[in-house]
Amino acid sequence: MDDTRSSPDRDLVDAVLANRPGAFERLVREHQGLCWHIIQRMVRNPEDARELCQDTFLRVHQCLHQYRYESALKSWIGRVAYTIALRHLQHKRIPLVEHSGDGDDYALVENIGDGFDLEAACANEETARHLHAAIEQLPPLQRTLLTLYYLEETTIPEIARITGLASGTIKSHLFRSRLRLRGALETRTGVAA
Amino acid sequence: MIQHIDDPIPPFDDAAHEREWLVQERAMRRERLQLDPAGDDARSRRYRLLARTLREPLPDVLPADFAQQLAGRVAATPAPRAASGSSFESTLTLALATVLAVAAGVVVAIYGSAWLPSFLTILPTPHAPTTRWLLALAGCLGASWLLGQWQRHAQGKTD
Repeated sequence: MDDTRSSPDRDLVDAVLANRPGAFERLVREHQGLCWHIIQRMVRNPEDARELCQDTFLRVHQCLHQYRYESALKSWIGRVAYTIALRHLQHKRIPLVEHSGDGDDYALVENIGDGFDLEAACANEETARHLHAAIEQLPPLQRTLLTLYYLEETTIPEIARITGLASGTIKSHLFRSRLRLRGALETRTGVAA
Repeated sequence: MIQHIDDPIPPFDDAAHEREWLVQERAMRRERLQLDPAGDDARSRRYRLLARTLREPLPDVLPADFAQQLAGRVAATPAPRAASGSSFESTLTLALATVLAVAAGVVVAIYGSAWLPSFLTILPTPHAPTTRWLLALAGCLGASWLLGQWQRHAQGKTD
């Protein structure tokens, strides 16, 4: 469990609420990376993502007095960013998850392609581009969960606080996404998965 | 508050899925620690390549002065506490009540001489029984109002 009453969070929140010079700028600088990763992965369009990041921090500034230290400040701000991005997707009628094709992913559990040359794949820029394209093709929720888990190194309980999803659901999404990406990698290198 | 966020992470019902999950997790940890891939099997090496790709920074980023710009934008707005809640509303109510009282005083001062004498004739005399009852009623209303104010003040101190 996180130390949700950690002093740095409390000091920063108190400083922002007291309108101390530079406090809000520091809060934004400390958490803008997380917000960008969540929102950019959810909505993909850079212009929309920048605007939604601004909306997120304006909302944080407006509602900070409601923060009750029940979770880390990072999770609370991440939750605001996730909610704003989610509303944007709902407004644009973009589905958050995909409800078909799970069987194809699970087929990869028992199979492993032969002759996969990792060294060649790593050195091959085409393979890297192909993997990035496969990540982009994942549904918004799976892209976001993978980015939080790998790039932000956020734990599953923390992701649960940000997204409001159950830990088991997050685990299942991560598992299927990684299987699907492994399949994409093996397809790229011409190996029957 | 969301209730299920601190649930333990449950294992998959299917043992093969759970084994594959553990391989994925181990590969992620080994890649994070940059451990030598020589001892990894084919499956782990694939997952390590995925991990490496997923840990690469996103291509588009926020402007370098994003935090500074945003801080400048909110500096022009009122403080979070001052801008919200009942304090702003009560200040506005008080201001409106003051304006109303001043306007009423001005109206009485200008036009009062025309209609105040007519009102005075219908008022009860000081020694009439009705006056005593009216004074008692006003006393009760005043005491009730004062009690309400005192309770609200005491509650505000404990919040």
